[in-house]
Amino acid sequence: MDEKKLFPAPLRTTRREFLKAAGLASTALALPTFIPASVLGRDGAVPPSERIRVGGIGLGNMGGGDFGTFLGRPEVQYLAVCDVRKNVRDGKKAQVDERYKSKDCVAYNDFRELLVREDIDAVHVATPDHWHTLIVTEACRRGKDVFCQKPETLTLREGPLMVEYARRYSRVVSGGSQRVREDYRGTVDMCWGGKLGKVLSINVVTNNLSHACNLPPEPVPAGFDWDMWLGPAPWAPYNAKRCDGNYSTEDFSWRSYWDYSSGEITDWGAHHFGGATFAVDVRELQPQEVIYHAPEGDKRAHLEFVYPNGMKITHCKPGKANMEVDNNERETRAPKPIPGYKGKGGIIGDFLACVRSREKPFRDIQFAVNTMSVCHLGTIAYRLQRSLKWDAAKQTFPGDAEANRFTDRARRQPWQL
Amino acid sequence: MLEQAFEALKTYDYGVDRHVLDPIDEAAVTTRNDPAARKDLESRLLVVLQSKAPRDARDYVCRQLRTIGTAASVSALEALLPDPDMSHMARFALERIPDSQAGKALEHQLPKLNGQLKIGVISSLGTRGQGVSLLRPLLHDSDEAIARAAAIALGCIATADANKALGSAKPRPALAVLFADASMSCAEKLLATGHAKEAKATYQRLLKNNPPELIRLAAERGLKACQTG
Repeated sequence: MDEKKLFPAPLRTTRREFLKAAGLASTALALPTFIPASVLGRDGAVPPSERIRVGGIGLGNMGGGDFGTFLGRPEVQYLAVCDVRKNVRDGKKAQVDERYKSKDCVAYNDFRELLVREDIDAVHVATPDHWHTLIVTEACRRGKDVFCQKPETLTLREGPLMVEYARRYSRVVSGGSQRVREDYRGTVDMCWGGKLGKVLSINVVTNNLSHACNLPPEPVPAGFDWDMWLGPAPWAPYNAKRCDGNYSTEDFSWRSYWDYSSGEITDWGAHHFGGATFAVDVRELQPQEVIYHAPEGDKRAHLEFVYPNGMKITHCKPGKANMEVDNNERETRAPKPIPGYKGKGGIIGDFLACVRSREKPFRDIQFAVNTMSVCHLGTIAYRLQRSLKWDAAKQTFPGDAEANRFTDRARRQPWQL
Repeated sequence: MLEQAFEALKTYDYGVDRHVLDPIDEAAVTTRNDPAARKDLESRLLVVLQSKAPRDARDYVCRQLRTIGTAASVSALEALLPDPDMSHMARFALERIPDSQAGKALEHQLPKLNGQLKIGVISSLGTRGQGVSLLRPLLHDSDEAIARAAAIALGCIATADANKALGSAKPRPALAVLFADASMSCAEKLLATGHAKEAKATYQRLLKNNPPELIRLAAERGLKACQTG
């Protein structure tokens, strides 16, 4: 079966159908000439009725960057914004309205209200990690294509659910690491181009895991829906540093705290492990074993992920740099064509091109989930301070009740997966 | 050090330096191969859980019991399921304790709870993959949110019994798509485990009911997978 044609196009109205339905087709030629050329699709512009209709969920920090990129794309018609911070969503609505010289953009506090809109084709999601799977699966259930920022998952159980929903509803679901394709090009080119001969292993470096948060209570700012920000995470009192979206993974950002993130091993790990699995061509696999090497002397603990095909990815191996490859040049390898983005404009351009073509995007959700499995397996090995076996087909640690406790966490009611 | 940490735990509250509990974190790992020490650790945590310690302290205990809790912790955790402040954290531990007593505690409390706390227990039963006979009648609960939660949980359990429960239910119109979605979760898992006949029957049932376009397309693809798989 041709995988490229697995995803049917979204159900939508063409410009011609739209005009006809609106009773305007026969009068279009009589319209005054002040209709902007872009509305009519002249000068290379995409007319609104043929644009991809987009909404954004989680629009601070990284979400703000994604928002700007989507809004600036000519093939996008931005319809709705969603954020639990009123000042953020109102600011983004104003930007959208300014862009289109209208008041049409709708601002939501609750993502579910945005997702029930049948006129939205695709959403981009950049909430904290603890929300990703709930929003992505619901978006698929509502027939939306999704661009989800990394780290795509918070637990091992969440990954297969995301893939399941994407496939069930034939949605284009892209993970959000732009660095996998763009930052590690040199290493990827050498590995795929055969210049290194047989690749034996690759090393990834990230720092600390996340930790508990016990910051004191502070008053919840006006216009901040704190309960919705927490969502499925355990209840905790508001503190500005607990929910700050800055990029620290050490403290005073949600990326630092266990309830919302696994820390740098997932936050940067999504990039680095994504690049490593791409470089050594194991994006379609998950490790079968994680070997824990306990700290010795002044050397920190490190890990070795073993793949079913024998490939190894190490984490923080002493003396090894990030993305450093071990290889055997004497065993020659023929060059392979390197997968790339469809369309133009980086990973978001790739996603939008795939929304049109119904192809799988470069960071298809299955690849993203496989990357995240490395991050999560590593986190669990470090927390338990021991080696682990992993059955990727069954998504369990075989015969290991202790490790299996870490494959998921109970969600705060009423949130449910 | 461990003694001091347990002393600090009695009054542990938001704003206190979290590192005062580090020795307990460490003990949860290092007692793995020392059953007596592990049992002692669990017992001491349970004392705090059943005390009037601050919510933050008991929250911390539940997190530890998620990792090391056994059947010995179940009754203390079950007692917290009706407590609006602690119900989630009790499930945080119970959902991941492999002993069957943990699942029985959730089943035992299910009929006694209402509203969001009941939804939480339904969710945990779904994740644990048990309680089909208790969830089935909830598909017709007068509280739409409960019926919705039961359908999602049965889709999560995805056994032949769960599939039958969903298939024989008559969802209110607002939940029809969600019930169909849960049925497809079952069908996909049944197909993946070699029960193509049951999966096929599920897709055929969904297609008979003139479903919305998105469900129809998904069910048609599922049906095709049954025929080609």
